[in-house]
Amino acid sequence: MKIEVKQLSVGTDSEQRMLLQGFDLTCAPGSITTLMGPSGCGKSSLLAAIAGLPITGLQADIQVELAGKRVEHLPTSQRRIGLLFQDDLLFAHMSVRENLLFAVPPGSKDERTEKVDAALKDLGFEAMADRNPLTLSGGQRARVSLMRTLLAQPQALLLDEPFSKLDVALREQFRQFVFAHVRRLQLPTLLVTHDAADIADGTRVIDWSALVSAHA
Amino acid sequence: MKSPYLLQISSALLAAPIALLLIAACATILPAIGQFDAWNALWEAPGLLRAVGMTLWTGLASTLLAWWLTAWLLSQAFGRPWWHKLVRSLPPLLATPHAAFAVGLVFLIAPSGWFLRSMSPWLTGYSAPPQIATSQDAYGLGLIAMLVFKEVPFLLWAAATQLQRDDTGARWQREAWAAQTLGYSRQRAFWQVLWPQLSKRLLWPLLAVLAYGLTVVDAALIAGPGSPATLSVRAWQWLQDSDEATNTVGAAAGWLLTALVAASAALLVLQEKFSKHLWLGFNGQRGKDTELRTWSVGRIAWGAVLLLYAAVLLALGVGSVAGIWPFPALLPQSLSWEAWSSVMGSSASVWMTLAIAASSSGIALIWAVAWLELSPPSWDAALRKLLYLPLLLPGVLWVVGIHRLALAGGLTGTWLGVLLAHLLAVLPYTLIALSPAYQGFDARYAHISAALGKSRWTYLSQVKWPLLRTSLWSTAAVGFAVSVAQFLPTLYIGEGRIVTVTTEAVTLSSGGQRSLVAAFAWLQWLLPAMAFALAAWLGKPRRWLNSKA
Repeated sequence: MKIEVKQLSVGTDSEQRMLLQGFDLTCAPGSITTLMGPSGCGKSSLLAAIAGLPITGLQADIQVELAGKRVEHLPTSQRRIGLLFQDDLLFAHMSVRENLLFAVPPGSKDERTEKVDAALKDLGFEAMADRNPLTLSGGQRARVSLMRTLLAQPQALLLDEPFSKLDVALREQFRQFVFAHVRRLQLPTLLVTHDAADIADGTRVIDWSALVSAHA
Repeated sequence: MKSPYLLQISSALLAAPIALLLIAACATILPAIGQFDAWNALWEAPGLLRAVGMTLWTGLASTLLAWWLTAWLLSQAFGRPWWHKLVRSLPPLLATPHAAFAVGLVFLIAPSGWFLRSMSPWLTGYSAPPQIATSQDAYGLGLIAMLVFKEVPFLLWAAATQLQRDDTGARWQREAWAAQTLGYSRQRAFWQVLWPQLSKRLLWPLLAVLAYGLTVVDAALIAGPGSPATLSVRAWQWLQDSDEATNTVGAAAGWLLTALVAASAALLVLQEKFSKHLWLGFNGQRGKDTELRTWSVGRIAWGAVLLLYAAVLLALGVGSVAGIWPFPALLPQSLSWEAWSSVMGSSASVWMTLAIAASSSGIALIWAVAWLELSPPSWDAALRKLLYLPLLLPGVLWVVGIHRLALAGGLTGTWLGVLLAHLLAVLPYTLIALSPAYQGFDARYAHISAALGKSRWTYLSQVKWPLLRTSLWSTAAVGFAVSVAQFLPTLYIGEGRIVTVTTEAVTLSSGGQRSLVAAFAWLQWLLPAMAFALAAWLGKPRRWLNSKA
């Protein structure tokens, strides 16, 4: 995944606040790049722009290349970029199984069910399949949410502080869970966080404040 | 308010008068069920089945059309910038009472109305109004159209109150985004993620729309079919009769209407269950995003709705000052202020309308705030079933009950009696309008305020209510509009001595003086519209001098 940000700004029509200018980044398959920055600096806006979400007031002049193809002109639904949000966003009107099934691409019913069963087994959640997601613990929901994202077979993954809402003990477990899956699936991954403990690969860390001051 | 007993006692004090009033009103009309003579007479009434058929057809068709149109408009607008424009355009539409809208619509589509005038004689060849019934048509199409165009804004507004809640609307928006990152198109994300969760919360407004469509009297008198008239109109005619035996037939017809509402409500709930299965069929198909255009079909459709409302109001305005107006001419030949001068002559009805609407909406708002603040959730759920009765019971039924109570209490023909009747009609809408914002309010503010050593009263008056100001004022405006539009309660309990612009407009609509009807219908719109404008001004968000700070 190659990302080139010419300009990223947020605000109203009359007043724009520049977040980022002239920033390039290449994420190799299976590698996890960590973008470090304080809260409120615009990390989430950058991920939204890469995924193509319509955030009010966000203006992005950005190029995104995925597996050799430019995707920034495509709607979010066709970019094939998975995004794990800060909160799990499991659909409250669907059971755990239905949440996972929702993500599986179209195919024969048996094949789709098989994929969901495999995911549930991977999670060790077979017994919870038909439960209301709200009855799961925060850590369990986070895992289901990651699994849902992966079942949609994205070609790249964006992680928006996915560990920040978990308590410390769970955080480390879930990190390892996420990183293991990313490496197994060889997904190019961009992680944004304000917590240095989240860094997956010390050689691939970018400091947001350095980026901004370099171009200010 | 630390003691739970104190909370319960104050809740009981709030609930008791309203609950007793409603229960007593129901008790007075219950005996009508047991009167076999009345049921026999009703059964033998000529054209009963056709009246029932017309009621079911107009009520169900209008409700389903309004519901589907609302869902479709939401799917087009939600998450797009023009959704906010749509929400801002709702108040003047909500302010339009059904009866006023019906009068204006008739002005547009009647044989001598603007639609035919604009096409005559060059297209239609008519040089005189044709002898065909385009309004009050035998199929009830005019009534259905009127109801659909009136209820879509109401349902959209009910949806907006849910979507503006932080705990639901913002969360659903992000869930929809999550679905899009999983590959689902915006439309599919709406139908599979947002709509199933939203539609569940619109059940009460939907049932109110259904009950209204099945039982409406005033607007059906104006725009509904004449023969067969709907059952509610027939029931109203029987109840208006001076013969006691005929009145009991009317009461029986009221109960028959209730049964129709109950059966239709059950049908509607089933329909929702069934369609939910359609939407939640997880076959994994993603749908395809179409290119985002500024002018989508939905936006054009909404523009057409706005245009129709503008045309209706313009027709009323022009109609109220029309003097001589020969047929194919688009504008009247001469203007006449006669209608307005006779409105000025009976300005008492305007003041009466204002007084009743202001006091009933004010009391209802204060009551609802107190209730939502104090009542335990289980009490709230229980009382609501009772409070929503005036929404679900046919007007011809519960108003008769209230009338009997008023008779017993010597309140008929008095201001107080009419006020109480209006209050019962205004309260459920007030609760529907206020609850989403009030119950969605972040409870942590209360903890913070308490931790800062502030009293509960300080918290309410300086934190919670100021933050909820927009919702509080718009709720008051909704209550005001509901009160202005009340026809049956005013007519019955007022006994002709209390006259509002609505009773004037409806009573006059059967007579010949078009300009006077138009003037009153226009006033019927103007008063609530002014209330909404005032509410918007009072409830506008705080302006910050320095937006960068």
